[in-house]
Amino acid sequence: MRSLSARGSVPEDLRRRRVPQVLWGLPAAAVLLSVIGLATVHSASIESGVDYLPRQALWVGIGFVLMLVAFAVDTHDLTKFAPAIYLAGLVSLVAVLLVGQEAGGARSWLGTGSWRLQPSEFVRPATALLLARYLATSDPPYLGLGQIFRAGALLVVPMVLVAAQPDLGGAVMFFPMYLGMIVVSGVRLRYVVAAGLIALVLGGLAWNFVLLDYQQQRVMTFLSPESDPLGAGYQLRQSKIAVGSGELTGKGYLQGTQSQLRFLPARHTDFVFAVLAEEWGFLGVATVLALYALYLGNGFRVARRARDRVGILLVVGLLSTFAFYVLYNTAMVVGLLPITGIPLPFLSYGGSFTLANFVATGLVLGVDLRRHVNR
Amino acid sequence: MKTAREDRDHLQRRVPFLQVLLMAALLVIASAYWFVQLVQGAHYRGLAETNRLRKEPLQGARGAIYDRQGRLLVENVPGYNLVLDRSRSNDLESSLEHVAEILGKDPESLREILRQEARIPAFQPVLLAEDLSLSEVARFAATALEHPEFDVEVGPLRLYRYGAQMAHALGHLGQATEAEIGASGGLYKPSDLVGKRGVEEHYDSLLRGSDGERVVEVDHRGRVMEEYGRKAALPGRNLHLSLDLQLQQVASRYFVDRVGAAVALDPDTGEILVLVSSPSYNPNVFSRRLGSSEWRDLLESPNHPLQNRAIQSVYSPGSVFKIVMGIAGLSEGVVDADDTVWCGGSGVFSGRRFRCWKRQGHGRVALAQAIRESCDVYFYHLGQELGIERIGSYTRALHLGRKTGIDIAGEKPGLIPGAEWSRRVRNAPWYPGETISVAIGQGPLLVSPLQMAHLMATVANGGRPVRPHLALDAERVAEPSEPGVSLSPAAMEAVRRALVEVVESGTGSAAAVEGLEVGGKTGTVQVVRQDTWIDNKDLPYDLRDHAWFAAYSTDGDRSLAVAVFVEHGGAGSKAAAPLAKQLFEAYYAESLRSRLGT
Repeated sequence: MRSLSARGSVPEDLRRRRVPQVLWGLPAAAVLLSVIGLATVHSASIESGVDYLPRQALWVGIGFVLMLVAFAVDTHDLTKFAPAIYLAGLVSLVAVLLVGQEAGGARSWLGTGSWRLQPSEFVRPATALLLARYLATSDPPYLGLGQIFRAGALLVVPMVLVAAQPDLGGAVMFFPMYLGMIVVSGVRLRYVVAAGLIALVLGGLAWNFVLLDYQQQRVMTFLSPESDPLGAGYQLRQSKIAVGSGELTGKGYLQGTQSQLRFLPARHTDFVFAVLAEEWGFLGVATVLALYALYLGNGFRVARRARDRVGILLVVGLLSTFAFYVLYNTAMVVGLLPITGIPLPFLSYGGSFTLANFVATGLVLGVDLRRHVNR
Repeated sequence: MKTAREDRDHLQRRVPFLQVLLMAALLVIASAYWFVQLVQGAHYRGLAETNRLRKEPLQGARGAIYDRQGRLLVENVPGYNLVLDRSRSNDLESSLEHVAEILGKDPESLREILRQEARIPAFQPVLLAEDLSLSEVARFAATALEHPEFDVEVGPLRLYRYGAQMAHALGHLGQATEAEIGASGGLYKPSDLVGKRGVEEHYDSLLRGSDGERVVEVDHRGRVMEEYGRKAALPGRNLHLSLDLQLQQVASRYFVDRVGAAVALDPDTGEILVLVSSPSYNPNVFSRRLGSSEWRDLLESPNHPLQNRAIQSVYSPGSVFKIVMGIAGLSEGVVDADDTVWCGGSGVFSGRRFRCWKRQGHGRVALAQAIRESCDVYFYHLGQELGIERIGSYTRALHLGRKTGIDIAGEKPGLIPGAEWSRRVRNAPWYPGETISVAIGQGPLLVSPLQMAHLMATVANGGRPVRPHLALDAERVAEPSEPGVSLSPAAMEAVRRALVEVVESGTGSAAAVEGLEVGGKTGTVQVVRQDTWIDNKDLPYDLRDHAWFAAYSTDGDRSLAVAVFVEHGGAGSKAAAPLAKQLFEAYYAESLRSRLGT
C-alpha cells in the first residue's frame, strides 16, 4: 500500500520518463503483416515456377534491421540534415533517369540484374522529413498561402523527377503526406474549397490532354467493368471473383483456384490481397485490416503524445502515406477504385517498398522514444 | 507570445481528426469486403466455378538456324508431353504403373516427380514425361477410357539436328533464371525457355518471337473449353550462320576420341566455318523441362564437356608464336630476312642458359630456316632484341591474347604478359629471362584456339583486320588498330613463305594438299618441365604435351585459316596437322577436282 501511494505521488510524466513505454503494436503489426505477406507471396508465385518467398524473406530481414537503425537515430539530429538528405534523394532520382535500369517501360531502378533498388521509395520519407522541418516553423493556428505553396514546391521537384521515369503512380504517391501534414498544420476552409475547384478544372484538362489512352481506358473500365470483360475490365473482374469466392473462411492455403489457375494478374505484387482474400476468406481479410488498424492506431498515438512539432508532422506524413497505400490497394482489389500499380505495405512483394516501410516504422518509433527529451 | 505547448496543441488537436477520417475509410473498405465476400459470396463462388475466362500467353515460334549453304541445323518440332491430372485419378499408384509400363520407366522415378509437385493443388496437371514417341502417344490414346487422368499435350520442342557436332557454336535452350527474368525488363517470364550459350544466347532477341495472348474459357480444373479471342504471337527471325555443316562434321569426327578444339575461318571476311570443342554434349537434353540424369552427368564429367575450348580455354601458344616473333622482328627492322644466328644447341641470355629443342644445334640459321626447323635459339636472340613490350604490341596487333569479339558469349581474353601486368598482378618486376621464354611461346603468355585461327587469317590476308563472327549478316565492326604497330607487307610475305616451307618440307607436311598453297606452323606445349627426354607415349595421359597446328591455305581464289588444338595430343605435326589437311580437302573439294582434271 505504501509503495503504491508513493508511486502515485510521482508526477505521471516523470514516471514515464524512467520507463520508456514502447508502443509494441507498431513493430508487432509490421512483423505479423510481413509474415502473412511471405506466406501469401509464396502461394501467389510458386505456381508460376519462381518462388518469390526466399527473396522477399531476405528483404523483410534487411527491413527489420533497418527499422532498428532508424529507431536508433535521433529524429531531431536527422531533421538537421533534412535538406542534405532531400538533395541526396533528388540526386539519386536524377541518376536513375541517366543510368537507371529499365523494366516494364519505366526507368526506375538502380543496381544490376534482379538486385536493384527503387530510389523513389526512399525519397518519399526524405521529403516527409524536410516538409516536417519546414512546416514546423509555421505560425499557428493556420498556414499562410505562401507556406502552402512553398511546401508544395518542395514536393513537386521529386514528383516531377519520378513522373519522368515515367512512373505516374509513384509520383502521385508523394501527395498523401502533403495533404496530411497540411491538414494537421492547419488550413483555412476557403483554401480547401478553392483547391477542390482548381483540381476539378485541372482534372478535366488532364483527362483530355495528358492522360494516355490506356489510362483513360482504366478509368472508363472502372466505371463500367462489364463493358469489356476480355480487355481492360479483365483484371478488375477476376480480382472481384477471387475476393468474392473466398466467402467467410476461404478456399484454403494454396487452394485458391483464381490464384493458382493464373486468372489473377500481378498476383505476388499489386493483387496479393486478392490471393489472401480468396484463400483465407473474410476472416483473413478482417485479420489483416485489423492489423493495419492496430498499426495506424499506435502510429497516431505517437503523434498525439509527441512533444515537438517536427515529430508530430513527420509521423503524420509517414502515416498518411502508409494509410493511403493500404486504403487504395485494398479498395482497388475489391473494385472500389480504378486499378493502378499501387502495392500493399508489408504484404506485396517488392524490395525497396518493403525496406521503406520498415524504415518509416522505425522513424515513428524513434519520435515516440525521444518525446521527453528536452530541446 | 505563445508557448511551445500552445503551438503543439494546435497541431495535436487536428491529429485525431485525420485519424478518425482514415480509420473510417478503413471501416468502409472492410464493409465492402464483407459485402462482396459474405453477401455476394455465393454469386462469386458460382462465377469462379463455372465461367472462367483466362488469359494465356502464346509464344511465338523460335526462328530456325541454317548453315552457310542453307542447310537446316536447328528447328522446332512438335513434342508430345504426358500430363497427369491427379484429381481425375481413382488410384494414383495404378496410374503410375500404367505410365511405367508404356514408357518402360521405373515407377519410383515417376513417384519422385509427384513428390516434388505434391504441394501444388490437385487440379493442377503435373508434367510426367516429355518427348513421347508416336507409338507411346497412340497407346495412351487407346487406354484413355480406363485412364482418363492422362492428357497428351503438344508443345514445340527445339531440335538440334546434328546434336553434339554443333553444340558449342549453337548453344542450347534452358529455363530463364530469376536473374535473367529480372534483367530482361519484362521480356522473359518464369518458365520461358531462353537461349543459353552459343548463338542461341547471343541472338536470342532476334530468334525469339514476340508473345501473343489468347483468352480462353477453362473449366474448374483449368482445362481449356473454348477460345474467345487471340492476339497472334509473331514468330522469331531465322538465323543464317557462316558455319559449314560438312566441314564441321569433318572436325567433329576427328575429335571423337580426342580432347581439344578446332576453328576455321575465312580470312577475307572473318566468317567462321568451323567451331568445334571436344568433348561435346547433346544440346537436345536441355530442350526438356524435366531434369534428367544426363544433365547432371554433363555437369559432373571430369572432361568438362560444357566448356567451349575454342573460346574459353587458353593455353601457351608454343612454337606457333614464332610467327608473331618473325613478323615483329622484320616489321621493326630488328632483323633482316637474311641475317643469321648461330645455334649450337643452347645459348646464354640474361645470365641463364636456354636450350634449343635440338641438342646438337641447327648451326647457322636465317629466319625462314628458323621457322621451318623451329629453332629456339634464333628466337631467343630475336626476343632479346625486341624486348617484352614490343613483343606484346605485335601479339595484340595479331589478335592473340585478347578477345576477338566473336558473336557468342564467354570468350576468354588469354594473357599478354609485360612489365605493367607483372607489377599489377604478380606484384613483382618482370625479369628479362622471362622475355626469352615468351619468345618461343612459353611463359605466362596464353591464347585461345579461336585467336590462333584469327592470327592465321591475318597472315593469310596480308594484315587486313577482320572480326571473326558466326552470323552471316552480323554487324561489321571496324577492328581497332594497335598503336605503334605497322605490319609491313614485306614481313608478312617473308613469314608466309617460311610457313609454306614448313608444310612443304618441315614439321607441317601432314597438312600438305596437292594443288593448294598451304602454310602452317606446329607447336608443342609441355605440360611438365622435362630435363631428360622421355617419349610422350611413355608418359601418363595427363602429363603428355599439348599439340597445336595453325595453318592457312588458298587456291588463289578462296582462302581458309585453321587452328587445331589437341589436349595431351603429343606432337603438333602428328596429332593436329592431319585435321587441317582434311578440312582443306573438304573445303576445296570442287576446285581441286576441276583443277586435277578428274
